[in-house]
Amino acid sequence: MTAALECRALRIAYGDTEVLHGVDFTVDTGESVALLGPSGSGKTSLLYAVAGFLAPSGGEILLDGRPVSTSRTQEPPERRGVAMVFQHYALWPHLTAVETVAYPMRRRGMSRVEARAGALAMLERLGLSGLADRTPAQLSGGEQQRVGLARAIAREPALFLFDEPTAHLDTPLRAALQEELADRRARSGTAALMATHDVAEALAFADRVILLREGHLVQVGTPIEVYERPIDLWAARLTGPASVLDASLVDARGANGSASIRIGESVVPVDGIAIDGRAGKVSVLVRPDWAALGGELSGTVTHVWFRGPHTDYRLATSNGDVDIREPGRPRVDIGATTGWRLDRAWLLTPGGTSPRESIMETGQ
Amino acid sequence: MADAAGRVGVGRGLALLAAVLSFVVLIAWPLTRLAIEAAGAGTAPVLAALQPEAMEAIGNSLWIAAAVTGLAVAGGLGLALLTEHAAVPGRTIMIVGILFPLLVPDFVSALGWTRAFGPAGLFDRIAGVEIPGLYGPVGIVLVQATGAIPLAYLLIVAGMRSRAEPDLERAARISGADGLTALRTVSLPLLWPVIAAAGGLIFATTMNAFGTPAVLGRPAGFATMTTRIYGDLAFSSSEAAFERVLGLSFLLVAVVLLALAFSDRLGPRIATRGTITGPGLEARPAGRLPLAMAWVFVVLSVVLPLGALLLTALTRAVGLPPLPEHLTLANFGRAVDSRTLPALLNSLLLAGFAAVACVTLGTVAAIAPIGRWRQRWSQVVTIGFAVPGSVLAVGVLLAFGRSLRDTLLIILLAYVAKLWALAQRPIAGAMDRVPIDLSHAARVHGADGRTVLRTVVMPILAPTLAAAGLLVFVFALHEVTISILLYGPSSATLAVAIINLQQLGDPTVTTALAVLLTLLVLACAVPLVALRRSWLHSVLG
Repeated sequence: MTAALECRALRIAYGDTEVLHGVDFTVDTGESVALLGPSGSGKTSLLYAVAGFLAPSGGEILLDGRPVSTSRTQEPPERRGVAMVFQHYALWPHLTAVETVAYPMRRRGMSRVEARAGALAMLERLGLSGLADRTPAQLSGGEQQRVGLARAIAREPALFLFDEPTAHLDTPLRAALQEELADRRARSGTAALMATHDVAEALAFADRVILLREGHLVQVGTPIEVYERPIDLWAARLTGPASVLDASLVDARGANGSASIRIGESVVPVDGIAIDGRAGKVSVLVRPDWAALGGELSGTVTHVWFRGPHTDYRLATSNGDVDIREPGRPRVDIGATTGWRLDRAWLLTPGGTSPRESIMETGQ
Repeated sequence: MADAAGRVGVGRGLALLAAVLSFVVLIAWPLTRLAIEAAGAGTAPVLAALQPEAMEAIGNSLWIAAAVTGLAVAGGLGLALLTEHAAVPGRTIMIVGILFPLLVPDFVSALGWTRAFGPAGLFDRIAGVEIPGLYGPVGIVLVQATGAIPLAYLLIVAGMRSRAEPDLERAARISGADGLTALRTVSLPLLWPVIAAAGGLIFATTMNAFGTPAVLGRPAGFATMTTRIYGDLAFSSSEAAFERVLGLSFLLVAVVLLALAFSDRLGPRIATRGTITGPGLEARPAGRLPLAMAWVFVVLSVVLPLGALLLTALTRAVGLPPLPEHLTLANFGRAVDSRTLPALLNSLLLAGFAAVACVTLGTVAAIAPIGRWRQRWSQVVTIGFAVPGSVLAVGVLLAFGRSLRDTLLIILLAYVAKLWALAQRPIAGAMDRVPIDLSHAARVHGADGRTVLRTVVMPILAPTLAAAGLLVFVFALHEVTISILLYGPSSATLAVAIINLQQLGDPTVTTALAVLLTLLVLACAVPLVALRRSWLHSVLG
């Protein structure tokens, strides 16, 4: 099966500054992939190269097996058969919503009348028919981005490109639009590549997540894989709240990955990459939902954050600070000593990133 | 910002009083005097304007302005598309070449064209080729169009940079539009208001122009409204001539204000939205033909006329080929004599005082009113700039001529009335762009309104004030329309001296003086370009 998108050793440079250092990945037919990385990681540049807005400095891009960008040729954007939803909407200020959605239809050769009818039907289907005759200035941010999505769908692309599509929307609106994007994309069955720095967006949207760091591809996996089995501490912090505890490795049985750690008096099963042959002191990753209050381990509560449906606690323990998430309202006070337990942990690969303070992501 | 400046209290009241008084004295009173004079003459000015002589001048002005507008907008748009949308080798040099005529006084350009392409000009002597009808409408249109192209280019580029976000063109391309279709369906429709606004502005400035029609039209007996007003006022004392001046003045004001209103209405219609992020749109290499045309334009409109001007100024006598053995600096020595040296001093004095006065007035008037009144106030002051120089000069002469006739002061008053808006618009604009948060932050940390002005607003405005001052200085040095109507035996300016010498027909000395004046302007323009951002804003108002 040919992939909807294949990037081979893709490099992008602005003058002497290289921002993407040779990246290989594929997006399979019908698959949705998220490019997750902080700003400056090169994800927007990558998207622009796929769209044809900039010429890569090296490597190849294939769409449905057809080379569109090589060292010899660059297909112009209009002949690549992809659609894009832009971060800043990029709606044409002189066109109404219906004219905007009709635009890609017109470019496909439809007559004015056909395109207008098609665009109206599309807006109707997306529940936007009330906005048909409005210009962007008369639309809210959320409405603008939904028109932007309608325009992308009207292109009938082989691949959607989403460039931080919800970055400029307010939180409640963002969640609604994220749901709509994922829903529409899934129903169309079209492959999609989304650039985002928002973990929640990436995990909820994508079949697979690509972690991008300073122009390097760090890890590729399903949302569950990148959350539960991050390749290093940097990846762990990018994909969700993370605590790092000191522990000692016991019973490292071998390559199948089954092992345990001792933390205080507890022995906890642990999973990790290349456990084989390691022993003694190790650092383990603990997600807030992998630990719980009440247990034989002991710690002092230093912070309590009430989040509504759940409460986050930070405990100072002899093995380091650990963040714990429990449903409901706060149950212990700051300063109290409390028991806790650890259900599972992920053995971090030594070296690489230096451990920093444990950070509990807000707004999760 | 508005309320921080607004709470200066007494200071603000005084500022308001000073601004309003200055407006009444400098702009409102001369124009009212003109109106009174016209009303006193009854229907005579209207009838005078219907006489064949006046009708001819009106017709000439209108069709020349229309032709110049069409050529300049087309040229400016083409050049803007080239430098902004394509990869151009030597882009910076090309842009400097395109914009350079902005710094050359229009009558100097006209002189340069006559030296390059006129009878006995550079081309005539080298190849026996001259532009037929350079003295006359053809020359006037050509010279004014090449002079207006930089303005059209500047406005359209500014519009492209602030309005046509690259994402909008990307969105068109990825929706299936090829480059030309994207240009037709997205880029140009978004630019249309800017193009129309540039057209309105160029139409108005061409109607107002005096220097080029004076240099190229008067020798051929070809009159426009401005040169007709000058001729009637300077060389005739008959009642009928003065009535014609009044009639033409009012018609000119009406046409120019209409064109400017048209330009103003269209200009800001599509508001700037959002910030542009992400990598820039990749520019494709420019086509050979457009590139060649752009360079030919720069060479024909800038390099050759100014080169010919310089060569004439450096050649011992007219008619000698510009060979090394004929070159001399003596013309400059002859040019600076007992008549022109005072004129040079007059020009510098007038420009200096006008710059200080306009920046002071501009600042005072920008501080005084608050909120949206600041913009209104800028528009009111713009009347002084919009009214044709010839008309303003007639008004000032009627208002102050009795006591100030033939003095430098009367020219200065007219200059300040004319150039006030030029300083005020950038200053008020910069003031509006000082984020109100900065003033709020200073207030909340203990500064009173006056201190905020001194410690926060003014330091931020300083580059704009400097740029505004230089801009007024340069315009005052250029100025000839007003000064040629108001000068007396001891108050001629350098520009007036050049025009008068040119009419007497001594090319070497005239061109030497013109080169001197241009060098002066360029010397002032260097710091202006260094303050480039503020300069762009001031030029764009």
